[in-house]
Amino acid sequence: MYKKIYKLILVCASFVSFSSCEELLNVKETDFIAGETALRTVKNNESLIIGAYSLLGPEMSMRLNMVLSDEVKAGEFYNAQSTHQWQFNYDDVGIRDNYTATTGHYPIIDRANRVLVALPTALDESTADVDLRKRIMGEALFLRAYAHFELFRYYSGNYDVNGLAMPYMETPSLETHARINMGEYFQKLLKDLNEAKTLLPDNLSDKSRANKLAATGLQARVALYMRNWADAITYSTEYITALPLSPRDQFAGLWSDNNSNETAFKLPRTSRFGSFFRPLFTKNAQGVIQLPGQISWLPSEKLWNSYDATDIRFSTYLVDEPLFKAADRPSKITKKYAGTAYATDRENMADMKVFRTAEMYLIRAEARAENNAIAESVSDLNALRAARISPYTSVSITSKDQLITEIIQERFKELAFEGHRFWDLKRRGLPVQRLASDAPSADGTTLPANNFRFVLPIPQPEMLANPKMVQNPGYAN
Amino acid sequence: MRKFLFFGFLLLIANLTFAQTKKITGKVITVDDGSSLPGATIQVLGTNNYAQSNADGNYSIDVPAGATTLKFSSIGFLSKEVAIGSLSKIDVSLEIDENILQEVVISTGYGPQRKDRFAGAATILGTEVTNNRPVGSFTHTLQGRAPGVLVNSGSGQPGANASITIRGIKSIAGAGTQPLYIIDGVPVDPATFHSLNPNDFESMTILKDANAAALYGARGGVGVVVITTKQGKVGETNYTARYQTGFTAPPDFSRLNLMSSAELLAYEERVGLATATTTAMPGWTWSRKNPANTKKTETELQQFDKNIDELRNRNTPLSDYFFRTGKSNTYELNASGGNEKLRFFASGSVFDQQGIDKTSSLTRYTGRYNLMNNNNKLTIQWNNLISYSERQDAVGDLYGNSAINPFQMIYRAKPYDNPYRADGSLNFGGGSTNLALKQVANTLESNLSSRDRNKQMKLNSGLTLAYDIYDGLTLRNVFGIDAANTLRETYIDPGTYRGSLQQPGASGYAREANFISAQLINTTGLTYTKTLSPQHSFNTGAYFEVIRGYNKGMGFILYNLNPALLNTGQGALDLPSNNATTYPQRASSARSGFGIRSYFFTGEYTFDNKITVNANIRRDGTSRIMNEANREITTWSAGAVWNVMRENFMENQNVLSTARLRFTIGKVPNIGSIGTTSYGVNGFNVTNYAGTQLPAFGTTSYTGSTLPGLAPSAPGNPNLKIETVQKTNLGVDLYFLKDRARLNVDLYKENTLDLFVRQPLSATTAFASLDINAGKMSNKGVEVLFEYDILSRKNLNVGINFNHAININTIEDLGLVEEYFLGTFVIRKGLPYGSHYTYSYLGADPETGKPTYETANGSTTTDYSQAGQFAKFGTYLPKHIGGFGLNVDYKGFYVMANFSYQFDVVRSNNVRNWITDGTVGYTSAVNQSRELIDNQWEKPGDQKWFASPKYAKNFTSSDLEDAKFLRFRTLNIGYNLPAIRFKGKTTFKGASIYANLENLAIWSPWRGVDPEDNNNISLVEYPNPKAVVFGIDLKF
Repeated sequence: MYKKIYKLILVCASFVSFSSCEELLNVKETDFIAGETALRTVKNNESLIIGAYSLLGPEMSMRLNMVLSDEVKAGEFYNAQSTHQWQFNYDDVGIRDNYTATTGHYPIIDRANRVLVALPTALDESTADVDLRKRIMGEALFLRAYAHFELFRYYSGNYDVNGLAMPYMETPSLETHARINMGEYFQKLLKDLNEAKTLLPDNLSDKSRANKLAATGLQARVALYMRNWADAITYSTEYITALPLSPRDQFAGLWSDNNSNETAFKLPRTSRFGSFFRPLFTKNAQGVIQLPGQISWLPSEKLWNSYDATDIRFSTYLVDEPLFKAADRPSKITKKYAGTAYATDRENMADMKVFRTAEMYLIRAEARAENNAIAESVSDLNALRAARISPYTSVSITSKDQLITEIIQERFKELAFEGHRFWDLKRRGLPVQRLASDAPSADGTTLPANNFRFVLPIPQPEMLANPKMVQNPGYAN
Repeated sequence: MRKFLFFGFLLLIANLTFAQTKKITGKVITVDDGSSLPGATIQVLGTNNYAQSNADGNYSIDVPAGATTLKFSSIGFLSKEVAIGSLSKIDVSLEIDENILQEVVISTGYGPQRKDRFAGAATILGTEVTNNRPVGSFTHTLQGRAPGVLVNSGSGQPGANASITIRGIKSIAGAGTQPLYIIDGVPVDPATFHSLNPNDFESMTILKDANAAALYGARGGVGVVVITTKQGKVGETNYTARYQTGFTAPPDFSRLNLMSSAELLAYEERVGLATATTTAMPGWTWSRKNPANTKKTETELQQFDKNIDELRNRNTPLSDYFFRTGKSNTYELNASGGNEKLRFFASGSVFDQQGIDKTSSLTRYTGRYNLMNNNNKLTIQWNNLISYSERQDAVGDLYGNSAINPFQMIYRAKPYDNPYRADGSLNFGGGSTNLALKQVANTLESNLSSRDRNKQMKLNSGLTLAYDIYDGLTLRNVFGIDAANTLRETYIDPGTYRGSLQQPGASGYAREANFISAQLINTTGLTYTKTLSPQHSFNTGAYFEVIRGYNKGMGFILYNLNPALLNTGQGALDLPSNNATTYPQRASSARSGFGIRSYFFTGEYTFDNKITVNANIRRDGTSRIMNEANREITTWSAGAVWNVMRENFMENQNVLSTARLRFTIGKVPNIGSIGTTSYGVNGFNVTNYAGTQLPAFGTTSYTGSTLPGLAPSAPGNPNLKIETVQKTNLGVDLYFLKDRARLNVDLYKENTLDLFVRQPLSATTAFASLDINAGKMSNKGVEVLFEYDILSRKNLNVGINFNHAININTIEDLGLVEEYFLGTFVIRKGLPYGSHYTYSYLGADPETGKPTYETANGSTTTDYSQAGQFAKFGTYLPKHIGGFGLNVDYKGFYVMANFSYQFDVVRSNNVRNWITDGTVGYTSAVNQSRELIDNQWEKPGDQKWFASPKYAKNFTSSDLEDAKFLRFRTLNIGYNLPAIRFKGKTTFKGASIYANLENLAIWSPWRGVDPEDNNNISLVEYPNPKAVVFGIDLKF
């Protein structure tokens, strides 16, 4: 009788023991690349850094600087009234659809941050991983600094220690964060950059990923925005020493990606940035080139007229296209990002050059002028012009104000469509002043200097999702 | 944990009393079917010694010397007195008291419950609901039968499940969660229902409130359906042979009200004239009114006229091409019987049903063997189902929203599209144009050249051991396995046109996948039942349960098949490399699993059969919750039932024969609220239980590197908690006329707490939103069930039944969020879940013919971008559901008719959006509705609903339609033959012949094929068929 009970209990117990209790609560998802598993090795982290590069898009800044400044004018198709004519508020659809820099940049930062968290404990799988780990760490810090700097350019006023910057994210977080002031923001940014510089490879063998010189380029640019003229001179000089200006005869090749002169860091592209200006040409069955559809944006006459005929930049950046002329359509079009020949594979495709030596010359010229090193500044300006204009006669300028005006004008010409113009005007406290013939209407002619719209509104979804977020001045909320 | 169990055990032991003279044990069963009778009272006559039979009917009682008689009694049964004599074991069978037949036992899955002591809300459905119904999945049989249970069929595919919602949607994130299904104590996977034989079911009990379902913990959050299968009865072996044959027929497609060829050609001309389009449409392209034809010669124009005439006179019978009358056959043989010690039920069946879609069918072979062994104190029950099914899934469902899907082409194809050439061959291939259509032929060719099969082996087995330790103390262990192996084979034949479109290789497609799922459960329970006196009895239980689930799927795809071999992956040829540096993997696999560990305690006390109170508590821990802090979940409930009839003041009334008041309250977490994702395995999706909880990564690429890129794809949810539903139920059972008229009313209120709400995230998080536990949702409702046996005579029985339920769902709170959009709904505080959110369409502007809309401030606009969006159009979940039926039985002839209905429900008729769009784009691609002919704006001044063909009205309230319906769900007509005796010997113990008709008719304002669906939008759905079967059951 009791024997039977024991037997029974034994049977029951054996059923229970088919899986021990604690094990049942810890059944793992073994096939899920998630959580800690996803970033287990150094190579996993490299993949995530590649994921961060995949989001890097200077194109947005380039479009913004064109549309909001005096670099372009409306073409045959125009539906950008709210942005081109500065009518946007925080909930503007044009801003939302084209220039939401928060969702464009924080994910880059988030990916970099995830790497920075996971990398210290990630596994080395080969001896090469020791160097790789250093490089990835450097890239993560560089990308974090780069993206934060972009956010500053969109959403903050000119550098002021006490002015509001965006939240500086140093770790992945699902919490909400408040804006911090620029003093602290730039401290963090510069710290990241300095550290990145010690880790990044000191060579240019792979320009599609960040290297030491790219960090130098960013240091120079940041110093310019911070009005730290000494640093701007130091870092731009460092860059210029490492990478000279492109010879004049290779300048066009720089833009058709036949060479990568001047460039420390560029993003190879298979997307067609040139289609922002005009759609693709096609070939009909007979192989005859057919005109593309409606042109969106034409170069402004102001820009068109600013070049000398002997300026290599004019023929590289712009063209008066006979095919359009013949069709009685606007023919003075942009060429800078036209890629290969009409109706070919890489038409309208161009790699995104993030830093160029020409920009460094202009940074140094401006910094030297501000430091009252007028002669050295003029010599930088002459050096750049001589590399572009032939024949060129050096100018001599003695007035600091005139020199700076010349430098800003040179930036307009040299860095056209590269994402600088609008922010240069903002930075220098200048208005956007379009020619009447470039303006879509009277109210689209001038954006007064220091207007609140030089700083973009914090997007509405961010305001709704983040109670700690503060809207920029001027925007009704 | 083990300590806990031991402690509970001690508590129980402490209640035992010892020191009596003689002990009698035995078992109480019912005469009717030999099943155990728990809760029967055993009294030593002339003494105060009482005992109560336990869940398995066993009892043990101490008898003082000199006692002579034991009295056995139980509510609903005639009591019986047995002389003790020298016996030490007395088994008795009690006869049902016919006067109170309704006092049945409720099966909660953890042992049966006497109904008069059951405080919860449950609906019991018997064999008349599930048996002999011509449906592949028993889920369909529930419609209109159980109050508060919404049953909606979204597919007529043989074997497809209907979607079941008990007492409303309780979660936003887990809106589609299906109830937990239990067969004889073992959970069963809904994906395998088509492999079960519903004829094996004895009863189906739907547990709705917290008290009834509390024993299931987090798995029972949205309700539990407990199925018991048949068991043999003591006596000679009975055999039943069943045969059923019949057909399934397509529904009435004329409800779509589509244009005929002549009408469509005329309409194309109207569209052409209004828009001056150059899009090719025969009625316009070949029209003499088309300005493009002004330069044509008369000969050419006459040819055009001829072309149009030819099309005008052709009305392709699409329904006949795509659908059929499917055959349906079932065969079954079962045997049951046994003696006091051993009883069994065994059945074998074949179910074979062709779908109305020509590519679909279900063939199922099932075997069941249920064995029950009573060996003094040990009871062993072993219930087994083994089955194999082959389901051919409709090719249309494989292709989804596309122009080769028959479910779409039934309204999309042009009536003048002729699929056949003059020689009778199918005119399929590329290059279909509106002037030379090949769409119907391509659909038919794809039907012929493609197939999608699902072959499933299914096992569901439960082994119960119950040992009566001592005087009402019982140790019981249930071990169950629910496992299935499903093979999916999808082929597109090489050498066919459809096969030639498969890339790479341009020669067919083969996908083979295998999916294994298994769930093991073991429940150990120690129960103690004690009757202290006739007034006081109680029972308590302590249980320990473990569940382990396993999933594994693997599948591969092959291209470039060998045309010599069909429907196989064998012999596939090499694939071109196209100079690629990498080769894609076309095979994949994934596994996942989960574990649950639970312990729970129950207690019940009954006073004088007048008041029963109970309480239970359960603690579940599960690996499905990653956050260790919230991994263990407590479920509790308490209930009370008051049998008012037992009160003295009821003695002098003769209106009521039964009066009960029930109340329950409790908290049930809902595991279904935690979102899961899945791994795609070429043909199956394997559930990823951690999918929404851990930070997840997808892949991406960067042109500047050949390395693969990683991209965070989900933020994970570190603070995740499970949603909890607080449920309260108040029920009244009032029976009149000696229980011939029975009214049950239940009022309930359920609050879902910690409701997952889509919280938008700051951009700094790098994600757009996260479902966080911040909201609250409520369901309030009332359920009424009324049954009345109008006539109850020897030769004539007439009964009616009616049930109705109202459920009001409200989103009570969304935390910090105001509202958000989910698909076509808005989730907004104060509105019910599933509220449509769209533009309010106001008809065509009489001046311009443009569509007009309501703006946000109530004015009218013809500018879509100025139109406001509104949430005033209702929800796709009906507020009112119900059913009613009539049963007549006259001298063995019987008729049972059942109707189901739903109202206060609005669905989005996406088909109607397409067929009433009327613009060039839709007219050239999709057949249009006849409504356009008379109700479309043509000239200024026209007051019409539909806009000019020049303007698209887009998705608006015009597509939202009232989807209420009344459906003649089933009609059963039959004759039960008495036993046939031949030369003094019984040849047949009985027989019945019958006809069962399913889905006979539907009445609804809905302008589509079928208003019923399991989702909010109708676009591409396998229509629900009608079915008629004739059957015979022979008992011998």
